[in-house]
Amino acid sequence: MATRAPELLQQDGTQPLTGAQLVVRALEREGVTHVFGYPGGAIMPVYDALPGSSLRHILVRHEQAAALAADAYGRVTGRPGVCLATSGPGATNLVTGIANAFMDSVPMVAITGQVASPLMGTDAFQEVDTFGITLPIVKHSFIVRDPAHIPQVFADAFEIARSGRPGPVLIDLPKDMGVAAARAGEPERHPEPPHHADAQIIARADAMIAKAEKPLLYFGGGIAIGRAERALRDLAARTGMPSVATLKGLGALPTDQENFLGMLGMHGTRAANVATDECDLLICVGARFDDRATGKLDTFAPNARVIHIDGDESEIGKLRRAEIGIAGDLTAILDALTATPEIGAWRDRCRRNKRLWAARYDAPGQGVYPPALLKQLSEVAGDNAIFTCDVGQHQMWVAQHCRFTRPQAHLTSAGLGTMGYGIPAGIGALFAEPDATVITVTGDGSIMMNIHELATLRRYRLPLKIVLLDNAQLGMVRQWQELFFDGNFSEIDLSDNPDFAQVARAFGIEAFTVDRRDQVPAAIDRLLRTTGPILAHVRTDPRENVWPLVPPNSPNIHMLEKTT
Amino acid sequence: MSLAMTMAAPRPLTDSGRITVAFAMREGAMLRVLGLVERRGFEVRGVTMAEHRGRASLAIDVRKRDPGRRLAVVAGQLRRLHDVEAVSVSEDEV
Repeated sequence: MATRAPELLQQDGTQPLTGAQLVVRALEREGVTHVFGYPGGAIMPVYDALPGSSLRHILVRHEQAAALAADAYGRVTGRPGVCLATSGPGATNLVTGIANAFMDSVPMVAITGQVASPLMGTDAFQEVDTFGITLPIVKHSFIVRDPAHIPQVFADAFEIARSGRPGPVLIDLPKDMGVAAARAGEPERHPEPPHHADAQIIARADAMIAKAEKPLLYFGGGIAIGRAERALRDLAARTGMPSVATLKGLGALPTDQENFLGMLGMHGTRAANVATDECDLLICVGARFDDRATGKLDTFAPNARVIHIDGDESEIGKLRRAEIGIAGDLTAILDALTATPEIGAWRDRCRRNKRLWAARYDAPGQGVYPPALLKQLSEVAGDNAIFTCDVGQHQMWVAQHCRFTRPQAHLTSAGLGTMGYGIPAGIGALFAEPDATVITVTGDGSIMMNIHELATLRRYRLPLKIVLLDNAQLGMVRQWQELFFDGNFSEIDLSDNPDFAQVARAFGIEAFTVDRRDQVPAAIDRLLRTTGPILAHVRTDPRENVWPLVPPNSPNIHMLEKTT
Repeated sequence: MSLAMTMAAPRPLTDSGRITVAFAMREGAMLRVLGLVERRGFEVRGVTMAEHRGRASLAIDVRKRDPGRRLAVVAGQLRRLHDVEAVSVSEDEV
């Protein structure tokens, strides 16, 4: 690959640069430091311009991992994560990661190569309509039609990706646009004006809160998106209100805060779901009445009036009518609410329920009990830890049993439910926060979706700590087949899994296996002490289920519980 | 800018209506608008468009695919699109 002299990239707009050089300059101008990608034909001009730039490119082994790593990077930093791929299969491989970011409102800029402009629409080699394929899963998208437009396109893309409700933005770059030279000046900036809370509506909301006898704070991922944790914590402290969180909201309040009742919904705590059922006022902040949280919607919080506060106006009233809706900057809105309701009896009842229905960790037998392992691991790992999850039973166990003191410490594919998210997300998190203790909790189904990324860990010597909970099954599917399909187990057996410790070692990664409960403390110690990447292969009981569980389309108080 | 609002109780809806969208005529804008309307549970039954100096006005006649769909909700989602400048809905136009 040819290298470019750095001075070429430092020229002002009076000298022509290639489109690819303009791309690199635009990324530098946006403060981008890391790009996750994989080269190929149509994107080669950009790869040709990378050397000599200030950008650090992270070569993954599959484009999906580039998008998922960029997603995690965006979640941790709050700045758009950037991924880069070629046309055709490179672009289609990004699609799952783009959709993942879209569903969870994560800032991302995805850059794809495209066949040269004259070939677009001719079924050329590695041509696919990336713009069209991604239309439903991006916040916005661009096709570069003139290299002189590149600075403005990139400035707009980053602004759109991070503003308001964040999301992924796609830039499709035809190969000839990367090669052609253009003179381009500085882009214009159009930042969104700040949103201020309306005083009259705030006063009405305050009055409603003051009158409430059983108010409940229900918060979600919008808190992290709006970086409104401080304001939420102040409100919770000021009012003493009990609270519940969605999967994405976990950590916005410390999960060990005394009035926090846990996650609500399908795998929520009984205390959270009962409080939601009983409350007379639901203050929803940065959440969207998602079906996993509400269960059967028309039975959700049946006695409650609703104050819905969100950064995205279109979420208010979408699924549940709100008596008061307030859209705008969450921090400003939460800070403006000053009511302090008299709710001692209600608060005591919720705390009592929390103690009464607290999770138990005294499972019988000598086998590893995943909830106990995860609880112990998160306590030892401390506040500096970031957990990234795959999808399945282990994902819910992490949400239920790990301790979080900030939402950026819990990276989970909540909306899309992407098996394979865990390791790429761990990679992204490590580049975003190199001093953090990053732990990926995965399953034997999920890890195989992106197991090739062990090579990326090895290449960059990333100290990711992988806990692989291996029940030799697709556990969540098996659980549903057991409970809702009359035990008709269909295509869930993974007992022919490879020896995962051997696989990890083949990638050059330290690994060991845990079979018994008494091995867990030493395993946690080894995981946390090891300075490089390490995988703990933990064999678990395939009959273990995630409890509690609300059956689909049922009221949240109809929870199934562990019976033995 | 203030975005506060008071939510009124939803009115009974017919199963058809018209969505009028004003937007900047940038690449993909019309596809984005129509695709969102379809994906969010409305059948597109007719389209009328006018364009002047890079600004378009698109009138979309729609029918709900199930009773749970509300024009006000899809209007809010259309307003989030980067190219969209204004959205209005009516339930009696078809």
